[in-house]
Amino acid sequence: MEDLTYVPHWVLNVGNYKITLNSVTLLTTWGIMAVLVVFSLMLAKRIRTVPGGWQTISEVLIDGFYGMVIDALGPEIGPKYFPMICIMFIFLVLCNWIGILPYMSEPTKDINTPLGLGIMGFFIAHGTAIKVKGIKQYVKEYFQPIFFMMPLNVVGEIAKVISISFRLFGNIMGGSIIILVVSHLVYQLILPPFLYGFFGLFVGTVQAFVFTMLTMVYISVQIR
Amino acid sequence: MAFSGADLVRAAALLGAGISMGFGAIGPGVGEGFAAGKACEAIGRNPKEAGLLTRTMLVGQAVSESTGIYSLVVALLLIFVV
Repeated sequence: MEDLTYVPHWVLNVGNYKITLNSVTLLTTWGIMAVLVVFSLMLAKRIRTVPGGWQTISEVLIDGFYGMVIDALGPEIGPKYFPMICIMFIFLVLCNWIGILPYMSEPTKDINTPLGLGIMGFFIAHGTAIKVKGIKQYVKEYFQPIFFMMPLNVVGEIAKVISISFRLFGNIMGGSIIILVVSHLVYQLILPPFLYGFFGLFVGTVQAFVFTMLTMVYISVQIR
Repeated sequence: MAFSGADLVRAAALLGAGISMGFGAIGPGVGEGFAAGKACEAIGRNPKEAGLLTRTMLVGQAVSESTGIYSLVVALLLIFVV
């Protein structure tokens, strides 16, 4: 059971420091990014008035997301943040789905991926707040009800990062552990495909959607 | 039959994992059931909006599930790390 939580890694010695790189996570993440870039380039090269199959799928996805982002962030800064939010969703969906392929493991199973994305969302939200409201108003909001509420507000902001990233990590990790344990119990017969369908495809999609929506909501809460 | 300190710590960690998961599962269970029940009521009143209601319900459930997920993470930490 010890290998359930094992993350393969490389250790580099640079001078006196040791740098640990999680090899499988890195390779899978870069692979997914490369696939996304190549796919987008190929799709953008042949956009037609009468769309083909792939173009229809991406248009439906992007149309739906565009409406939601504009609803949440408003027509002014919505279009600016739409590409980031949309690609975050597609990236996370691919990250969560890749576990259904044999010999692949989800990059989101490693806490570093969701935590990195969560910290990125945190900095984007607060950067946007400072840009939109000005630094004075931004700092003033921390002392909002009474001045000694400031530590609570700061902790509340940091807890958002922890909650959003641990939600994604726990769901994917717990799902994969349940799949392993139940598959072992039933001797890999009959059940595993359904488990992969539920925990890999369904939960993966819902959690990627929730992560994206919450990042968007945090940005929109900051700019009001 | 002598217990060493390490055995005691391991036993306490496993017991803690079980308690954490058991109590942590109560809240999300009640909450998600409540959300699903309300969604059923809403669909009964307004069947045309079933798609939107189902989507909203799933997102809300996934968010309210997070406390259960935290207890799962704590249980995993207790089992594998302690």
